[in-house]
Amino acid sequence: MSGSHFSIILLPTLGCNADCEYCFENKTDHHLTLDHLAVLIEKVMDFLERKHIHRLSLYWQGGEVMTLPPEWFEQAHIIICQSAEARKIAVVHYIQSNLIGYSGKWNRILLEMFGNSVGSSMDFPNLHRKLKGGVPADYETLWIEKVREARAAGIKVSVIAIPNDKTLQMGAERFYSYFVDELGITEFQVNTPFPGGSSNQVKDGYPLDAERLGRFLLDLARVWLDRGFDRGVQVGPFDRLMEYFVHGRKNLLCIWQDNCANDFVCIDPQGYVSQCDCWAASYPGFRFGNIFGGDSLFDILGNSEARRQLAERPGVLIQREDCIECRYLGICHGGCPIRAYTMQGDLHRKDPYCPVYLALFEGVELLRSTRAGKLRNT
Amino acid sequence: MHAITYNIPVSLIAGFRGRKMIVRADDPTEIVENVTDEDLAGISFVKLLSLNGKIDSLMGWGTAIPVELVVSDTCRDLPLLYRYAPLLADHPVRVAVPLAPGFGKVVRLAISLNFAVKLEGGQPDAPLLDEMQRIASFYLHQATVSEPIEFFHSLFLAFYHREPITLWTIQEEDPSLVRYITDTGEETMPGRLAGMEVPGDFSTFLQDIRKGPAGEGGECAGCEFLGHCRGYFKWPLRAYRCDGVKALLRTLRSAAEELRTDIASFHAPGGGGRE
Repeated sequence: MSGSHFSIILLPTLGCNADCEYCFENKTDHHLTLDHLAVLIEKVMDFLERKHIHRLSLYWQGGEVMTLPPEWFEQAHIIICQSAEARKIAVVHYIQSNLIGYSGKWNRILLEMFGNSVGSSMDFPNLHRKLKGGVPADYETLWIEKVREARAAGIKVSVIAIPNDKTLQMGAERFYSYFVDELGITEFQVNTPFPGGSSNQVKDGYPLDAERLGRFLLDLARVWLDRGFDRGVQVGPFDRLMEYFVHGRKNLLCIWQDNCANDFVCIDPQGYVSQCDCWAASYPGFRFGNIFGGDSLFDILGNSEARRQLAERPGVLIQREDCIECRYLGICHGGCPIRAYTMQGDLHRKDPYCPVYLALFEGVELLRSTRAGKLRNT
Repeated sequence: MHAITYNIPVSLIAGFRGRKMIVRADDPTEIVENVTDEDLAGISFVKLLSLNGKIDSLMGWGTAIPVELVVSDTCRDLPLLYRYAPLLADHPVRVAVPLAPGFGKVVRLAISLNFAVKLEGGQPDAPLLDEMQRIASFYLHQATVSEPIEFFHSLFLAFYHREPITLWTIQEEDPSLVRYITDTGEETMPGRLAGMEVPGDFSTFLQDIRKGPAGEGGECAGCEFLGHCRGYFKWPLRAYRCDGVKALLRTLRSAAEELRTDIASFHAPGGGGRE
């Protein structure tokens, strides 16, 4: 059996009930119809068969997915199950939602389709996430209420957090306490911000200062190791880096894969195929093609100039940048293309957060050694 | 007695069915089109002589059959390695890297992509020896290296286990074990020896060179590494001076001995080892 696997970030809607200041997506009213979903899934299955791939991960994102009704997902689940079963392809679903639209009506589909787990997003402190016409504090209050409601229903909520300047001022201990001690979140991940989509004052402040961000992340890694590691708390990306440095397993974030163009694509509600959700709604020049057109997904990916540029990026970087000399080349490969493009205007440059990643890799590797030493002495 | 493995062009596979084979081709498509399911059991590995072919055909084909990617130009081929990363889902992949300027970069990238590496070529000059020392250090001491770099890896293990394996065997150039079949079907010596005038015959080559070129006095006589090397670095030019190579082999041997000592002390009473 083939060990191959593919992922699709599926955006069934580009509508959203929030108005976050750093969002990289240009929102529209487009949403995917079930008829179109059936066509899309058949084309995806054709592609997987042709590539001898037997496992598919579907990441449902938006826009905001919970602006669609749960009944839509119930129908979607049936359509996908029938197609996957006929093709003997295993499909696993993941959902990313701001949870603002969550209610008990979602519980059944979250259980049946998403393994009773949902990924959400919140920052600490929350400066930029808000409802349309609202303020961040109200958004946070509502979000906490929804998280508690979901968790009371037995749903596991994991969180992605984007640090801001205030986060770095307040420090790692306070940040960790907010999520783990105050909210009871046991799985969260810190992502680095970038100025994707239309510009504004918040995005003009990116990238965050590398030295301060690197110090914050390392402090957070130490806090996690001291307080959460042995209790099963997962904090990304440290948990996966620790797994790599201890066991050699490369289950790393998409920004650190050898070539994201090999592993996943994103499809938006109009059928446009692009590299990921960061490109989909704001960079039409980087679309690979449209899955509702006449071409197969195989041909779209094989003939796209935009995809060719993305696929070639790691090979260009090792000739143009200093990545080939880096001790951590095998877990970074020049980092994320959207971060390079949005902050430097050039896809074929390494990720501008390189100094942050380097500090993080060195720091976590050192923490691994220190921890191993402590364990030997106990 | 070991069966002989034949390194054959894929076009000649019909004549070698039932024997052990290394099947080589420029393009993966040639492999997929010419190798039958019945052939797979006899294939040691597939050797791709060019990195410009389309790899899609190898996905889902001959699962678990190892694939060797032959780098012929270290500069030109370096970025092309990325194209082959998806192959790892279905095949172990090794990169054969010539000892030529820029080889160290190819090794670093190959290792970062979780490919095994085989260094090829036997008479490195001083700058290449410096780079080989750096790569040996990279292999021995960088914790993120998880794949073998040959010949360092097997020689290190041979030193560690005090086993008598030779570089000719490690490098798949022992003619008693491997034969090279030319594109026109002629059977010759493998690896660097292909087409060369060598003493004796295929099956007794290693014994012959121990008695002959390696036993004629000169640098090989009394060399501390003769047992593992058997004059490997004296081909094709016997006048090649081995000082740099010997320094490299000492590095590997010292590391192996250090590890053996560490492990012995770990298992010694009070050393922390457990039953």
